Amino acid sequence: MIDIRISNCNKSYGSLRVLKDINLEIERGEFIVLLGPSGCGKSTLLHIVAGLDRLSSGEIEIGGRDVTDVEPKDRDIAMVFQSYALYPTMSVRSNMEFGLRMRGKPLSEIRPLVEEKARMLHIDHLLDRRPSQLSGGQRQRVAIGRALVRDPKVFLFDEPLSNLDAKLRASMRTEIKKLHLTLGTTAIYVTHDQLEAMTLATRMVVMKAGEIQQVGKPEEVYHRPVNLFVADFLGNPGMNFMKGHLRIDGGHVVADVGAATIPLDGYAFATPPADGQAVVVGLRPESVQPATGGEAFVLTLKPTLTEHTGSDNLVVLAMGGEEIVGKFPTETLPKLGEPVTVSFDLGRLSVFDAETERRI
Amino acid sequence: MRRFLQRHVSQVALSPSLALIAIFLYGFIAYTAAVSTTNSKAFPRFDSFVGLEQYWRLFHTPRWHVAFTNMFLFGGLFLLVTISLGLVIAILIDQRIRAESFFRSIVMYPMAMSFVVTGIIWQWLLNPTLGIEVMVHQLGFTSFRLDWLTNPDTVIWALVVAAFWQGCGLVMALFLAGLRGIDEDIWKAAAVDGIPAWRVYVYIVIPMLAPVFLTVVVLLSLSIVRAFDLVVALTNGGPGVSSDLPSVFMFDMAFRRTNLGLSAASAVVMLGTVLAILIPYLYVETRERA
Repeated sequence: MIDIRISNCNKSYGSLRVLKDINLEIERGEFIVLLGPSGCGKSTLLHIVAGLDRLSSGEIEIGGRDVTDVEPKDRDIAMVFQSYALYPTMSVRSNMEFGLRMRGKPLSEIRPLVEEKARMLHIDHLLDRRPSQLSGGQRQRVAIGRALVRDPKVFLFDEPLSNLDAKLRASMRTEIKKLHLTLGTTAIYVTHDQLEAMTLATRMVVMKAGEIQQVGKPEEVYHRPVNLFVADFLGNPGMNFMKGHLRIDGGHVVADVGAATIPLDGYAFATPPADGQAVVVGLRPESVQPATGGEAFVLTLKPTLTEHTGSDNLVVLAMGGEEIVGKFPTETLPKLGEPVTVSFDLGRLSVFDAETERRI
Repeated sequence: MRRFLQRHVSQVALSPSLALIAIFLYGFIAYTAAVSTTNSKAFPRFDSFVGLEQYWRLFHTPRWHVAFTNMFLFGGLFLLVTISLGLVIAILIDQRIRAESFFRSIVMYPMAMSFVVTGIIWQWLLNPTLGIEVMVHQLGFTSFRLDWLTNPDTVIWALVVAAFWQGCGLVMALFLAGLRGIDEDIWKAAAVDGIPAWRVYVYIVIPMLAPVFLTVVVLLSLSIVRAFDLVVALTNGGPGVSSDLPSVFMFDMAFRRTNLGLSAASAVVMLGTVLAILIPYLYVETRERA
């Protein structure tokens, strides 16, 4: 069942087009993450779904109802902000109660509801404090609690974890995930943090310059990016790109990438390859591994730099005039300058047309 | 010597100005307090010690009572009118209106004028024979009367209106800065929560402006105690002494009626009033910082 439908949505500020013809359908219970660099329009899209921004043209439907011209309060949504946006002059309890009180709900119903949600978020001992007396993580819990008590049809999250430190961010991320598994409410979550996007999303939407680049399950977007931008934006360290040309040799397709010739027999081409086509071959660092023997494709390359990250060793390898990065297991640390044999996982290759930058 | 200088360079650098402040501020405050215990007339004379007699006389002078009461009456009305209207204007300007800077300038302009000019402008405007009253009469409403300046019971309103006209800009600017400092997300959260704008102002935004209120009250209060030029230019204390303020009283006693002892006593009482306002403010301020 479609819960949110965004149709032909455009937004301009003067001559600046922030959103260009966005179409997106969100099923009930999905956790959609909008991911993209700053200024890609992801927050604007969220604000438009919330009704805080008017769209220039297009339609928004929530729960089968056209809400394009409906006030935010009547859209049955709740929102969590990056700056928490708690009301600083009120106690935590009043912060959570205020929205419901304004809707004329009797206090006898609100009280138990607030206490239940507070227990759920482990903030029940903080109910009588002021926001200024809380830590960042506690404030964000209160902001989430304020959204929860409203029991909305849709949760909107606007970079809710960006103001927290790394450790707290990871634990809050898990909690949001658990919360979604428990409640099953449809959610849209904006972030520029790919780790949050990968772990939280049931489907993610990668955006750039006001346009949707790719919509799909996180692993699908990660392993089968539709274009160079998505391939490059996801992953840390980023995907290795090798420029070259396709060659069709007696029914076999290979990619000549300078220092090597990569066989593409097992590659599922989306569009038929042409002989001599200029391409960029992409391979993620974790698909570049030290050879153990028996792999289909191996190369001998010279390491020029190694970095320990704790869980892995990042090895920079010279390949022709370019460099590629391999993510080696921590027990394998090649010596600089001494050639090592590495294997490419050919099943994980992505091939892009050099001109259109699209996956082929 | 050199080491001493190196170690205490900041103290050494500040000492001349500290010395000047000690002499010309605190020294003369003490001097005034000393004069207030003498029977000085046109010139300070310290051979005529009378103890607290000048204070006794001060509080038995009907004119001082008028002036002192006026200060609180004028001050209270001025605070109330200026703060409430200043806040309302700031809120109106904060609605992302068109030509915002134009309206802001209009409200701020009177601030650029001296109180003497303000006083004279309003003296003309309120003058029954050439100001607003004549204008309204010419429009046909001949029963209209605006005799604030000539009626001892209402003359205080003339002071309040003129002082408000001058002070409103500053108050508006301070409140506007406070309003602009409020996180946009709070407004968005309130919109999603379905809280009407006026309730957001009453329950959330105005309470958040509490520090601005404190600053505004202190600034305006000090200007009330200092108010002198406005009264001299607008009413000169009249009709009679009905619009006297303590500062006018003090000036009059010192330089026109050659009663320096009484004047000094009134100055000390005014200082006490200022301290009564400032000390709680400084207490709250320093406690918040700590």
